[in-house]
Amino acid sequence: MTSRRVLMVIGRHAVLIGLAVMFAAPFLFMLLQSVMPLSQAKTTALYPDHFEWSNYSTVFDRIPLGGYVINTLKVCVLTVTGTVVSCVPVAYAFSHVRWKGRNAVFVLVLSTMMLPFQVLFVSQYQIFSTLGWLNSILPLTVPAFFADAFSIFLLRQFFLTLPTETLDAARVDGAGEFAVLRRVVMPMARPGIMAIAIFQFLFSWGDFFGPNIYLQDDDKLTLAVGLVRFNSDVARLGESNLTMAASVVFVLPLIVVFFFAQKVFIEGVTLTGTKG
Amino acid sequence: MALLSPWLIGFFVFTLYPIVNSLYWSFTVKRYGQPARWVGLRNYDLLLGNDDLAKALGNTVYLAVFGLPIRIGIAVLAASLLARRRRGNGAYRLMFYVPSVVPAVASGALFFFLLKGGGPVSSLFELFGAEAPVWFGDPRWAKPALIMVGTWALGDVMLIFLAGLVDIPRSLYEAAELDGAGRWAKFRHVTLPMISPVTFFTVLTGLIGVLQSFDQAYVFSQGARRGRLTGEPDGSLLTYAMLQLRQFQDGRIGLASAMAWVLFLLTFAITMALLASRRRWVHTSVEGFG
Repeated sequence: MTSRRVLMVIGRHAVLIGLAVMFAAPFLFMLLQSVMPLSQAKTTALYPDHFEWSNYSTVFDRIPLGGYVINTLKVCVLTVTGTVVSCVPVAYAFSHVRWKGRNAVFVLVLSTMMLPFQVLFVSQYQIFSTLGWLNSILPLTVPAFFADAFSIFLLRQFFLTLPTETLDAARVDGAGEFAVLRRVVMPMARPGIMAIAIFQFLFSWGDFFGPNIYLQDDDKLTLAVGLVRFNSDVARLGESNLTMAASVVFVLPLIVVFFFAQKVFIEGVTLTGTKG
Repeated sequence: MALLSPWLIGFFVFTLYPIVNSLYWSFTVKRYGQPARWVGLRNYDLLLGNDDLAKALGNTVYLAVFGLPIRIGIAVLAASLLARRRRGNGAYRLMFYVPSVVPAVASGALFFFLLKGGGPVSSLFELFGAEAPVWFGDPRWAKPALIMVGTWALGDVMLIFLAGLVDIPRSLYEAAELDGAGRWAKFRHVTLPMISPVTFFTVLTGLIGVLQSFDQAYVFSQGARRGRLTGEPDGSLLTYAMLQLRQFQDGRIGLASAMAWVLFLLTFAITMALLASRRRWVHTSVEGFG
């Protein structure tokens, strides 16, 4: 290696390590702060003199965190189920079934992605209010059963990569579209279905806007809303250690899911990005 | 058609009907449970004659002009350093990606803690003998704080660029080398044109995201207000969506609808402008983006 090359390699790693520190440091401070004793949390100390693990149980005592987790999981399970059940047939209709006007309708699907949710929610709120669904998880979960544009788009990208010949062979054998979908397409497109399920899970777990509007009673809140309300209470008292402990409880499951599913996940992001 | 029915029903009930409804309401004075009263363009007049709209738009433009280039720039830098298969790259990719899994509500709370007086960042400033800005007490500094959070969560943009970079044929670089191109020339004349469709896509989705961003700004201003920090962070963080939420919570449905429509028209205009500009800077020989 010439010295120029050595310098290049060193430079490259310096930039990468610098970036890595920038990306990882906030997590580190979050963890450290979450186990800091209160007396220290109010000072400028960055490293706790001892690890106060009881901060976590304090948070569970102060707010019904367990209840929030259950509420959030309920919303997640229902929205994930709804998204998969509704988007699979729709994406199939947009990829492997021929019908007149398919492209035009698909453009319509895509254009709904551009629509700001603000345009919709004022009126949706009235629909849910008329139905008597306010202060329940129904406004958050029922719409998931009616196929959202993003998941349709992502799933269609996966379906398009499947070989048409295999599908045609099944059709020649006399299988109807639903049978082809269930027995041929779904087993082959499992990574794609996993991807939309995971994206939906992440979204539902972290969503704040909808739950904040529709849920009122404390025992019905999801983690995101509960966390924001808790934080604004403890911010006054300077208990940033508790805020961070609650944040760890909120974020950790997502990071765990991400690590287990990173391959599916990365494929999903990549597919939405590059082919259209 | 049976296959399509979930989307069709959802489209009519949760999309088309609300669109028509809110368009109608935007020309009325309306509260929930009360009939709408037609007032023509009065809501729009009210919006355009109000400082809040200009302020909110100013903030949005600020976030787009300063935030997006930083976000995309660092994402391209990281992606181009990681594009080739090398040992250790997988670990870097994971590290850069993880922050974008964190929901806006949590990253908002996290950065609120990191940046507050006496927090880690202000300690860092002191280390260099400088005085840290009062991020959330000062309207001028609240927006850079938002940009910082956005930059931290650039993982998804980086991944999309990575995918784009991997698709560039090696032969193009080899040809450029034969012509005597250096590192920078290769980046400028091969990489940049080849990833321009990806850049276009990220600019477009980034702009739409900035226009509609809500959660983080809400968390910041909420925390600052309840925490009784100084100044008026509300004034600095009011993004458009927040304004609209306030109106909605006040029960001024007609006005909230009109705001939503202004926002929609803006999004539409920006999208169209970007699409029109595409020919000038996006390399069309690259497959993909339609």
